[in-house]
Amino acid sequence: MNLIDLKHKNRQEVTDLLGAKEREMLVERFVSLGLPSKKTEEYRYFDVEKVLDKAYKTLRYVPKTLEVSDKIEIVDGVVVAAPQGMRIYNEACQQIDMDHFDPLYYLGHLLCPQTIKIELDGDTEVEIEHTYTQSDALINYRIVLYNQANRHATVYENFICADIENTLVLYGYDMHIAQDSTLRVVKMQNLQDNHYAMVASHRVNVARNANAILKSFDLGGDQALQLLKVELAERAHVDAGHLLYLNADAKRGTVSQIVHVGEHSSSKQEAKNILDGEARGIFDALIRVEHSAKYTKAEQNSKAILLHDKAYMAAKPQLEIYIDELEASHGATTGQLDRKQLFYLQSRGISYVEARKMLVIAFANTLIEEVKDTRQQERIKTAFEKVFYKAHQ
Amino acid sequence: MSNTVMKIENLQAKIGDKQILKGLNLELEAGKVHAIMGPNGAGKSTLSKALVGHYDIEVLGGDIIYKGKSIVEMEAEERALEGIFLSFQHPVEIPGVNNAYFLRTALNAKRKHEGKEELNAAEFLRLMKSHLEMLGMKSDMISRSLNEGFSGGEKKRNEILQMLILEPEVIILDEIDSGLDIDALRAVSEGINKMKDGKRTFLVITHYSRILDYIEPDYIHVLKDGKVIKTAGPELVPYLEEHGYDGIEEE
Repeated sequence: MNLIDLKHKNRQEVTDLLGAKEREMLVERFVSLGLPSKKTEEYRYFDVEKVLDKAYKTLRYVPKTLEVSDKIEIVDGVVVAAPQGMRIYNEACQQIDMDHFDPLYYLGHLLCPQTIKIELDGDTEVEIEHTYTQSDALINYRIVLYNQANRHATVYENFICADIENTLVLYGYDMHIAQDSTLRVVKMQNLQDNHYAMVASHRVNVARNANAILKSFDLGGDQALQLLKVELAERAHVDAGHLLYLNADAKRGTVSQIVHVGEHSSSKQEAKNILDGEARGIFDALIRVEHSAKYTKAEQNSKAILLHDKAYMAAKPQLEIYIDELEASHGATTGQLDRKQLFYLQSRGISYVEARKMLVIAFANTLIEEVKDTRQQERIKTAFEKVFYKAHQ
Repeated sequence: MSNTVMKIENLQAKIGDKQILKGLNLELEAGKVHAIMGPNGAGKSTLSKALVGHYDIEVLGGDIIYKGKSIVEMEAEERALEGIFLSFQHPVEIPGVNNAYFLRTALNAKRKHEGKEELNAAEFLRLMKSHLEMLGMKSDMISRSLNEGFSGGEKKRNEILQMLILEPEVIILDEIDSGLDIDALRAVSEGINKMKDGKRTFLVITHYSRILDYIEPDYIHVLKDGKVIKTAGPELVPYLEEHGYDGIEEE
C-alpha cells in the first residue's frame, strides 16, 4: 500500500481504496482535511511526503490469546501479553472525535476498524511495551484507554524494535479520563537508529475535575511526530511535558491543540528541546480557550538549545482566546548553552566537553524529575545519558 | 621576591573595545595573602578574570607566569587543574546540576590530573559533610542545584566550600565580602583562614578593608587605571581608609 495514492482523492475514491463503505463520516472528515503534505501547517516541518510516499506491505491484525506478563505487550499492533485480570478488548471505537485537526487521526481509524480497548481498574500502574518486527511495513493500530472515576492510574509506554527498516507506524490513543480521576502517561522513545518513522495521533478527553499528566521523552532517531488534541471539561487540568533530544538528521516533535471547553479548566505545557547535528525539532502548539471556558488558566512554554549550527527548532506556540476572564501566557526561546554556566564549570577544572554534557543533562533533568516514580525517572535519565554520551564520544 | 608563585608582567587586556589593564605588574609570593584594593573601574575584577582565562578577556600583551610556565594561552579548565581558583563575585546559578555531583566531578577531574585515584560517592559525601559543618552550611546543600535559589551568603559559602574541597594553590577571592552579613563574613573568613597554611597564596580583591580585619594580609597592592601603582604592607590599610585612593601616587 502506498498512502500517497490517497492524495487529492474524492470521497468515493477514498471509500473504495480503503474499503470503508460503512464509515462515511470518517471518510468525509479525512477527505475534507486532505492527506497531509508539506503545505499542511501541522506537518510543515516534518517532511511527511517522504514518509507517505513509500510502498508499504500491510499486515493482518489477528487477535491472539493473551499470555500473562507483568506488562501489556503489543507486537506489530497486536496485543500478545498482559497482566492477569487486565481488561483488554478488540472492538470498534465508539467515541471518535469528529473535530480532530489531524487527517491521520481519521486515516488511522479508517485503517483499523478494530481498536485495542484497555480499561484501567482502580489505582493502577501499567507498562505498555510496543514492539515492531516488520521491515517495509505499515503498522497501524489504535488504542482506546479508559480509567475509572475517582482513581489515579499511570501508564508507562516504551518502544522497542528488531533490526527493521523502512517501516511506518501509525498509532495513537483515544483517552477518556473519567471525572475526578488522574491519568498519568509517561512515554519514552529512545531508539536511535533509523528503523521506523512514526506518526502518533492522540485524542485526550479530560472530564470534569480530572487530571491528565502527559509526559513524553523522545530521544529517537529518524522521523516521528506526535499530534495531540486535548479537550478540557470544567475544572479539568492537563500537565503536558515534552523532552526532545535529537541528533544526526532526526526530525521529531509535537503538534498539539489543547482546547479549554469548561470553566476553571487549566493547562500547563512545557517543551524542552535539545538539538544536535542537523536535527530538526518541532513544537507547534495551540491553546484554544472557548467562549464557555471562563476563568481558564493556560501556560505554555518551549525552550530549545541548539548544540550545532545546523540544528533547527521550529517552535510555534499559539493562543486562540475567545473570552476575557482568563490567565494565559506562552513563549518560546531558542539559544545555545549559557556561556557563563559553561565557564563556571570549566573554572573548576571540568573539561569543556564534560561541562556541556552536565548542562544539557541539567536542562533535561528538570523535566525528567517531574516523573514521580524514581525507578522510571532513573530509567529515563540513564537512557538520556546513554544516548547523549553515544553522540558525543 | 624570593618565593614567587605567580608573576604578572606588563599585562595588557581588554574587554570588548575597552582596554582595562594597561601594563600591570604584580608578583605573588607563595604562602602569602595579597590584597588588591582600588577604586571602581580600576581593573580589579578584570585582573581576576584574566588570571583564570575568562572568555570576556582578550590579552593584548604581557604575560602571566605561574610556577615557571606561561598560562596566558591555557584554557580555563587547565588553569584550574593546575591549582588556580577564582571565588566569583556573582556565582552563577545552574538549575538541574546537583551541587554534590558537580563538586565530585570537579574534584575527581583534579585528582585524575594529579594521578590520584578518584573518590567514590560515599567517600566524597563524607568529605563534603565535614566541610559543610565547618562552614555552618545546611546539609541540604548536598542535594540542591548548584547555587540555585541560594542567598548571597549561601553562594559565597558555597564558593568557599569548593575552595576547601578542591584545595587550590592560588586562590583569588573577588569581592568575597560583598553582600555578606557579619555572621556570614565570619564563617567565610574562618574557611579562608583554614586554608592559610603557609603554602597557599591568596589574592584578595576588595573595595573595603572590612574583610582584611578577618584575613590578615601580608601585602597591599593599590590598583588604579589598569596598573598596580603601589605595594606596601598592611599598614597601608588605615591610610587608605582615611585618605582614599586619590592621595596615592604611582611608585
